[in-house]
Amino acid sequence: MSRLASFAHARPGNAMRVYILHRFLQMLVVIFGVVTVTFFAVRLVPGDPARLMEPPGTPESVLKITRQQLGTDKSIPDQYVAFVKDLARGDLGTSFRGGRQVTEVVLNALPNTFALGIASMLVATTISFAVGVGASLRPNGWFDRLTLFFSTVAQSTPSFWLGVVLTLYFAIELDWFPAVGMHGPASFVLPTSTLAIALMPLLIRAVRQGFIETMGEGFVRAARARGISDRRIISIHVTKVGAVPLVTLIGLQAGYVLGGAVVIESIFNWPGVGNLALQALQQRDFPLIQGTVVVIAVVFTVVNFLVDLTYAALDPRVKY
Amino acid sequence: MPLWIPVSSTDLALIANPINVAGPDFPGSEPTTLAERGGPHGIRAVLGRHKVATFGLSLFLAIVLVAILAPIISPHSPYKQNLGDNFLPPMWSEGGSATYPLGTDPLGRDLLSRLIYGARYSLLISACSVLFGSLIGFAIGVVAGFWGGKVDTVLMRLGDIQLAFPFVLFAIAVLAVSIERTVWQIILVLGISSWVLYARVVRGRMLTERERDYATAARALGASRPRVLMRYLLPNVWQVIPPIALLNLGFFVIVESLLSFLSLGLSPPTPSWGSILADGRQFMMITPWMALLPGIAIIVTVLSISLAADGFNDLVDPKLAHGGYLRKPLPGTVHDPEHETGDCLLTVRNLSTRFLTTGGAVHAVEGVDLHLRRGEVLGVVGESGSGKSTLGLSIIQLLDPSGRITSGRVLFEGLDLTRVSNRKMTSIRGRRIGMIFQDPSNSMTPVLTTGFQLREALRASGPVSRERADRLTREALVAVHIADPDRVLRAYPFELSGGMQQRVMIALAMIRNPDLLILDEPTSALDVTTQAQLLDELDRIRRERGTSVLFITHDIALLNGFADRILVMYGGEVCEDGPERDVLRAPQHPYTQALLSAVERASVTADGRLAAIPGDPPDPKRPLPGCPFAPRCPYVMDICWVSKPPRVPVGTHHRAACHLLTTLKELPA
Repeated sequence: MSRLASFAHARPGNAMRVYILHRFLQMLVVIFGVVTVTFFAVRLVPGDPARLMEPPGTPESVLKITRQQLGTDKSIPDQYVAFVKDLARGDLGTSFRGGRQVTEVVLNALPNTFALGIASMLVATTISFAVGVGASLRPNGWFDRLTLFFSTVAQSTPSFWLGVVLTLYFAIELDWFPAVGMHGPASFVLPTSTLAIALMPLLIRAVRQGFIETMGEGFVRAARARGISDRRIISIHVTKVGAVPLVTLIGLQAGYVLGGAVVIESIFNWPGVGNLALQALQQRDFPLIQGTVVVIAVVFTVVNFLVDLTYAALDPRVKY
Repeated sequence: MPLWIPVSSTDLALIANPINVAGPDFPGSEPTTLAERGGPHGIRAVLGRHKVATFGLSLFLAIVLVAILAPIISPHSPYKQNLGDNFLPPMWSEGGSATYPLGTDPLGRDLLSRLIYGARYSLLISACSVLFGSLIGFAIGVVAGFWGGKVDTVLMRLGDIQLAFPFVLFAIAVLAVSIERTVWQIILVLGISSWVLYARVVRGRMLTERERDYATAARALGASRPRVLMRYLLPNVWQVIPPIALLNLGFFVIVESLLSFLSLGLSPPTPSWGSILADGRQFMMITPWMALLPGIAIIVTVLSISLAADGFNDLVDPKLAHGGYLRKPLPGTVHDPEHETGDCLLTVRNLSTRFLTTGGAVHAVEGVDLHLRRGEVLGVVGESGSGKSTLGLSIIQLLDPSGRITSGRVLFEGLDLTRVSNRKMTSIRGRRIGMIFQDPSNSMTPVLTTGFQLREALRASGPVSRERADRLTREALVAVHIADPDRVLRAYPFELSGGMQQRVMIALAMIRNPDLLILDEPTSALDVTTQAQLLDELDRIRRERGTSVLFITHDIALLNGFADRILVMYGGEVCEDGPERDVLRAPQHPYTQALLSAVERASVTADGRLAAIPGDPPDPKRPLPGCPFAPRCPYVMDICWVSKPPRVPVGTHHRAACHLLTTLKELPA
């Protein structure tokens, strides 16, 4: 509390508000860009969505109606204007299978993805901090070598394979945890482990590197010269300085989680947006594909905006 | 999985610290070339890593060879179906046969052949994507870094937007609408998704290279912009690409199989590790080996690439971390058997400190002896690189991780500090021995307020009540003549001026009244007026409290009137020591004489190098067998090159180490 108080004292709250507003506007620009990129990416490769969605051999007259429903009969600029207009109203179109609103379908799946993502990030961050700090205490020591070895191996391991292997062993062979679905806490174990293991190598290396660098700073030596205990120096001085850049990395990993969710959710049949995107893909549900991609990209951008604000709040040196 | 997953410490720094992304100062931008860095290492750790890297590289080349020779070495066609032989297990399991060493898939195709062909497609796609992505990224990075301004802003913002896009989604969005997916489509997607990574690093390197002497010189000499770019910049910039490209390659191997796993990759029946795994998963209960094998192939391939890349990084940027944060106490008894209680506070005996580096051991301090009585001020003077700072750090036991005390003793009230435990040393620091460093802006923890750090220092010996702590911290600031202690207590270090910061540092160091205060160039980073004020402050405080002081400086003039005794260091050795008056008025060592005459001519440069004495300080990696000052000494004799001069008395408590003195003494008066 006292830190916050002195923080407010050091800087008029006005500057902070201006900064938040500035970053918010910036975020809107990025979201607009991301939405635009999605729109054009979906149309980048030549191909006719209508033809994809209907079974082969569908007569041209039916395809024409499908195109009208999709809106792909219009020119690209017209489609874009219509797309942006609908989006502004929160309308991502209608799913082709089942006729439900895409917005509604995606928003229903989003909390499940969040639950998996947050659980994985908590696990990954906790373990990575403990291991990374441990390794940084003696660079090149046995623990450090072991850590680097395992993180290199983990980094070389495809998470979709790991998910399959974990299922094979812990769900089928041992029958400890359910193999698929989201039913109760036990069903979190395997998908969370898979995603966390995929997140950890990078985090561990970042924590280790960051702490080694921070521990080499003059202020650490000066604090030690004052007789501050090593435990305190590491847990307060080094962590406060060394962890701030890691906040950004964790934020960026949110992107990894969202992307990784596609894979992990499909392996464990998790009812999240990633799985939704893949199902849409298999069913060639064009509006749903576009909708999930837009929502995930927007969520990612918002997460990064929040991370930036956290960063500013954590480090008093950040100039607004 | 997003494609911008950081792959080395370089782009880790980029991604972990986007504030720095705009600036050129990340590790990858160090101004050294491969040739400069690839010098002899001769250290086991590096060799060990190179062995691993060589192993990785050989393994990777073997995999590449297998992929190239696939048509020759694979026992079957990867497409040939044999429905009678489907679901065959590997040859070592029951029911397996040597015809299909790794078994068959649901369509009776030979798994080994499909895996071999999978390597072919995987590596082909990954390598071409890396090439494509790095070329685009390189071009964009060069353009952004060379032209700068609006072009730069637009390109980099574009990159930001792309980074805000999880890769798999990008792939889904692009690949979803194509019915038949070809190798080239996948390469296009992978390549486009990775350019940002290269562009950022290349741009950063461009910005640094552009401002280097050779580039500005070439511009000044009238070289055209394209010529400067082609002839001077590009050869230095491309080097940042290979380490990233290598790791990117490994990552793409995973991504390629991920795409086929999600049926977003090559269309069947083209063999791919990812689609084999997807098939295996579908029949997980019947054919678990089909799920395991492609994963192992991927791990081995990616691991071999990572190991090779690590080796490459080591070659470009060799790092050697010896030891760590905590020092290892030397073996032996902590208590000095010869210790006599008296007014002697600190005795250093035959102390040698070395730093282990890739280029060999640096002899920073060699056989230094000194002693300090209670209440006394000992000035340690020498050029930068003379080992004086290392001496101070050796006493308080805060050497860099690569530093080692190789011999000698540091006796503080009879306690050998080189041998006490880390816990004991922590209790000595701050309470018995304090230290103030040269750069105050880097001596306070930037994210904690002055008040927090003062209270923390105060409480390091034990709990202090809130009221008492508040009163004592205020008093500590008042004692160093800070006019508005309440404001300073609330302030973060960056909100204080340099002089104010150093006052706070004094307050921090003195808050627990240590017996010994080591000052390492405490005023060098400050302007002359502040410097004088601070010295007065220090002098007053240490007189009031009877603190002993070890004052390390390159400026011998500062010791005039401040120090009781002076010790002159050169090349890690003590060349002269004695009472302040004697050393300043009647210097006996040619180096001390040179130092003093340099001060008279006011030609000590800011960095502490002596411009007035011709020649350079000795190379601490190659200590001379004789007197370290011999190469620069105006009176050098033959003997100076071969034998170390002993320190001989030249007055009351005044000694100097110079052959001139011994030789002269031997001559009849």
